Amino acid sequence: MNNSRRHFLAHGAAGLSLLGGFSSFARAGLDKAQILVIGGGFGGATAAKYLRLFSNNTANVILIEPNASFLSCPMSNFVVAGMRSMADIASPYDSLTKHHGIKLIRDSVSAIDPDKKTVKLSSGSVIGYDKVVLSPGISLMTNSIEGLAKANQAGVTLQAWKAGPETLMLYKQLAAMRDGGVFAISIPEAPYRCPPGPYERASLVANYLKQHKPKSKVLILDANQDITSKGALFKKAWSEQYSGLIEYLPSHNVTGVDAKTKTLRFEVQDDVRADVLNVLPAMSAGEIAIKTGLANANGRWVNVDFLNFEATATRDIHVLGDAIQTAPLMPKSGHMANQHAKVAAAAIIAQLNDWPINPAPVVNNTCYSFVSEQAAVHIASVHQYDAQAKTFKSVPGAGGLSSEPSNTEASYAWGWAHNIWADTLA
Amino acid sequence: MKSLAYSVLLLASLSSSCWAQISTADQLDQQGLAATCANCHGTNGKGLPNASIPLISQLSSEELLAQLLAYKSGNRSGTLMPQLTKGYTDAQLESIANQLGQKP
Repeated sequence: MNNSRRHFLAHGAAGLSLLGGFSSFARAGLDKAQILVIGGGFGGATAAKYLRLFSNNTANVILIEPNASFLSCPMSNFVVAGMRSMADIASPYDSLTKHHGIKLIRDSVSAIDPDKKTVKLSSGSVIGYDKVVLSPGISLMTNSIEGLAKANQAGVTLQAWKAGPETLMLYKQLAAMRDGGVFAISIPEAPYRCPPGPYERASLVANYLKQHKPKSKVLILDANQDITSKGALFKKAWSEQYSGLIEYLPSHNVTGVDAKTKTLRFEVQDDVRADVLNVLPAMSAGEIAIKTGLANANGRWVNVDFLNFEATATRDIHVLGDAIQTAPLMPKSGHMANQHAKVAAAAIIAQLNDWPINPAPVVNNTCYSFVSEQAAVHIASVHQYDAQAKTFKSVPGAGGLSSEPSNTEASYAWGWAHNIWADTLA
Repeated sequence: MKSLAYSVLLLASLSSSCWAQISTADQLDQQGLAATCANCHGTNGKGLPNASIPLISQLSSEELLAQLLAYKSGNRSGTLMPQLTKGYTDAQLESIANQLGQKP
């Protein structure tokens, strides 16, 4: 095997050439292996950085990401509610290159061939790999709700669930809404990305309405039978701070959208008309994971080996974050994706060094939600690997919730955000 | 209010040269374990100085372990740390303290 041919320097996709057909060679060692990290969210960016740190900066790591800047979903509800700008939740990826020697390719992946061990970029170039770390995030199953694809394309409904242009568009619709209007947010059945996120969004939008449009209302239409995370804390805050401003309707599963009349249809209940429609459809693993045949849990999520996050469907593709079929009580969160990434990075480096993989990894989750601009609550958990069950198990007696919303935890929540952003990107 | 980009730049300038060499599987496992703290306390325990989360890297390994065990036993109160430390074994907390604390 001619390594200089396989392991080119990637200064951009333009110079890439076809590098396929390497499935028959023996496993490459750490110094020769080419590791492609696909997707620069909390999972992918953290994996790229820690693959370098855990290998004493010797691993050959390429991060493939279509956007020039990272945009954070955590704290993006502050943009929706007009309390922060997009610039506050954005950072360019170049620090990963400058400080960690990670090569960046600004492109998306159109196909992965696990047999030939190649990745095809949208620009057409093909790159060979020894290891793929795939952090594809989620796809919104827009077709699960009749009329949603069209309505969302026309901007009549917005998701703003992947931080991006819709985040700011949703704020603009809120700002343009008449006083006395209704801001409706619909929530799909769990599991979905960021369980408490919709309730935090409702809280911060209500905080905005209280100050600017007090005759208006936030209507929460939840497909679940009850609030899926931090329920008692949210309900307490809503009754104390937003009486008359938030209406919560459980077991309301949206089945259709009429864009002309801005009306939502449900399985059972009467139609609901609203002025701003934030419709969150059911979610699945990011499209590339499904296309590659990795989503072997109900066709929606990716089963992984929790010791190294390798997809059970094929070898040498390690999948992180919201896309996986999680272990019991493990949430789909950015914090958890960052933790997955470290376990996977350590296991990949161990494997390439011909060392044993850590048989007992541990991960934790810390998740803050704001109930108002000034007060936050948390939920936390610790998950130890159980060798017999071959999964992570939430440690009984550990973790838990805040006793009540507080300004102290709001301050910690911003500290968490700045430190996890830096741990992921700096 | 500081932006995300500001924090990334600041941390990158602080932490570029503080990573211990890893030359055995055991060292890798220990760094991996300590990295579970980094989301809140910064890469290698070096958090942003004004991020409102206590800076743990100024403590010695011995002081750090004492605090972790005090949280776990309930002798020290807090918001998250009493809940998180209860999920780790004493041996894991000792390993974390050895990784992230100052050595004499």
